[in-house]
Amino acid sequence: MKSILESIELTKIFKTGKIEVAAVRDVSIKVREGEFIAIMGPSGCGKSTLLHLLGGLATPTSGRVLVDGEEVSSGKDAVRTDIRRRKIGFVFQRFNLLPTLTAQGNLEIAQEIHRNGSRDRQHVDEILNLLGLEKKTHHKPSELSGGEQQRLAIARAVINKPAILLADEPTGNLDTRNSMVVLKMIQELNRALSQTILMITHNPEAAGIASRLIEMRDGKIVSQQREGEWNAAEDRMSL
Amino acid sequence: MSARLVLSNVVSRPMRSLATALAVGVEVALILLLVGLSTGMIRENSKRMSGVGADIVLQPPNSSLVLAASTGAMSVKIADLVSRIEGVKAVAPVYLQFNTSGGMGLLWGIDPESFDRITQGFIYLEGKGFQGPDDVIIDDIYAHGRELRLGDDLKLMNHSFRVAAIVEHGKGSRVFIPLGTMQRLVGTPGQATMMMIKCHQPSDVAGVQARLASLLKSYPTFDMTSFAAHIEEANRDFGPLKYFTNTVVSIATLIGFFIIFLSMYTATTERTHEIGILKSLGAPQGYISLLFLKEALVLGGLGFVLGLGLTFGGRFFFRLLMPTLQHQLPGEWLFYTGSLALFSAGLGALYPALRAARQDPIEALAYE
Repeated sequence: MKSILESIELTKIFKTGKIEVAAVRDVSIKVREGEFIAIMGPSGCGKSTLLHLLGGLATPTSGRVLVDGEEVSSGKDAVRTDIRRRKIGFVFQRFNLLPTLTAQGNLEIAQEIHRNGSRDRQHVDEILNLLGLEKKTHHKPSELSGGEQQRLAIARAVINKPAILLADEPTGNLDTRNSMVVLKMIQELNRALSQTILMITHNPEAAGIASRLIEMRDGKIVSQQREGEWNAAEDRMSL
Repeated sequence: MSARLVLSNVVSRPMRSLATALAVGVEVALILLLVGLSTGMIRENSKRMSGVGADIVLQPPNSSLVLAASTGAMSVKIADLVSRIEGVKAVAPVYLQFNTSGGMGLLWGIDPESFDRITQGFIYLEGKGFQGPDDVIIDDIYAHGRELRLGDDLKLMNHSFRVAAIVEHGKGSRVFIPLGTMQRLVGTPGQATMMMIKCHQPSDVAGVQARLASLLKSYPTFDMTSFAAHIEEANRDFGPLKYFTNTVVSIATLIGFFIIFLSMYTATTERTHEIGILKSLGAPQGYISLLFLKEALVLGGLGFVLGLGLTFGGRFFFRLLMPTLQHQLPGEWLFYTGSLALFSAGLGALYPALRAARQDPIEALAYE
């Protein structure tokens, strides 16, 4: 399968006065089409920074990022924005929905940005029905529960069929029941639609649904395990 | 959808939007009221000039078409000279003086006999005309506006007059005093500031003008059919009025600019997180800039509509409180003011919009 996302020796150093902090150090990852990767690690290990670099929200100090063959690590904001628009969908812990628009409006604006103005109302309705939000079409985010907001955020992220979905702690703000619903939805996207997903999480249960687990520490990848490998390891630990 | 986002942003902050639009509305109303008042006064004056019924107006050398600002005078004896010119039916010397005591306005000093020959006489609603040197004739609008009745005292040019007659409006001025009294009060005995001339045949106006030009070379004459238009033009181009209008228009536009700037600057700060969301969705800088520019234009447009409302409200109160003040809205100024409101809104939003578009997406997303 072809590579959808690739980072090559990616490094990000933040400078505060004379102090330099390396948030991400020489990270090389290859994500294949249809793969579902979970990245775990303690707070401050550089997971979110890595996600921002992979999604073109930030530029690396060194190294490269290729999304579907296009370099997103260029310094030019317009180039990164364009690739983000065409190839990447984001899901955040804080949902990040536009508060003044309805559920339908939040989906339509994503379409409008993606398609340079045009919208597909039918597709919006299909997605809302699929997520069980058909009765909440005209509700604003503040009128939705946390779980509903996150489902809507996922819908927005995938409505334009991105090459890769980048999720940053998608269950971090949700209770157990809603977390399960959201995780199931993400898993379904990967299984049924072969959506390539890279998800950051603290939650081992969430990581459990991924096909590959990457562990980070101090800005570096310390281990990578394929599905089954870490289950076996966990089983050994629990024994 | 971006239009819906713009509108929802306007609606979701109703007080800020209303205050901003109202400020733009004040800008619009300020301009329209000022221009409307000056236009109304100029047009009303020129209309009344046309209502006199003269065919030609003769002015002294170096006089101004801005009648209130004209200081030139000529001997009333010229009237005799003019009356002997072939084709002239009647001549009326008039002395115009701008009065500031007891309210501002143009007073006409007239000789009733000669003036009646030009105008076919006043239409008297009350009274019969001048009975003595300290009598004043006023028109019905002036009388109504100041609640004056026959026999009331009226102070003009620091002199007390008695209202001797109330006439129908539309013949030259709203206030007339005897020519001799005017000459005495101004200190220019035997002088007039213009001659109103009536021709035997309206078709002979050009011929009479030519004969006047050969007899009184440096005295300008104006055909009354075009005099009103000349007066309007001269008043529009009159330096002090023009500069005053331009200054008010500039200040009002600047106020609109700063209000929109402040409002949109606050909006971009308030909506930093939303800007981050749009950036994460891949919205280009132009898209984000346009969102804020469109919002400013909506506020500018709303302000223009509110401004029109304020203008008509102001007009209503002017009519109620000062019936003699005429307010006319020239159509082209509606267009100019609308354009100015949108221009100042767009310009005011330009920097905040560009600033919003240049936000770092991660910093914007992290903004609380």
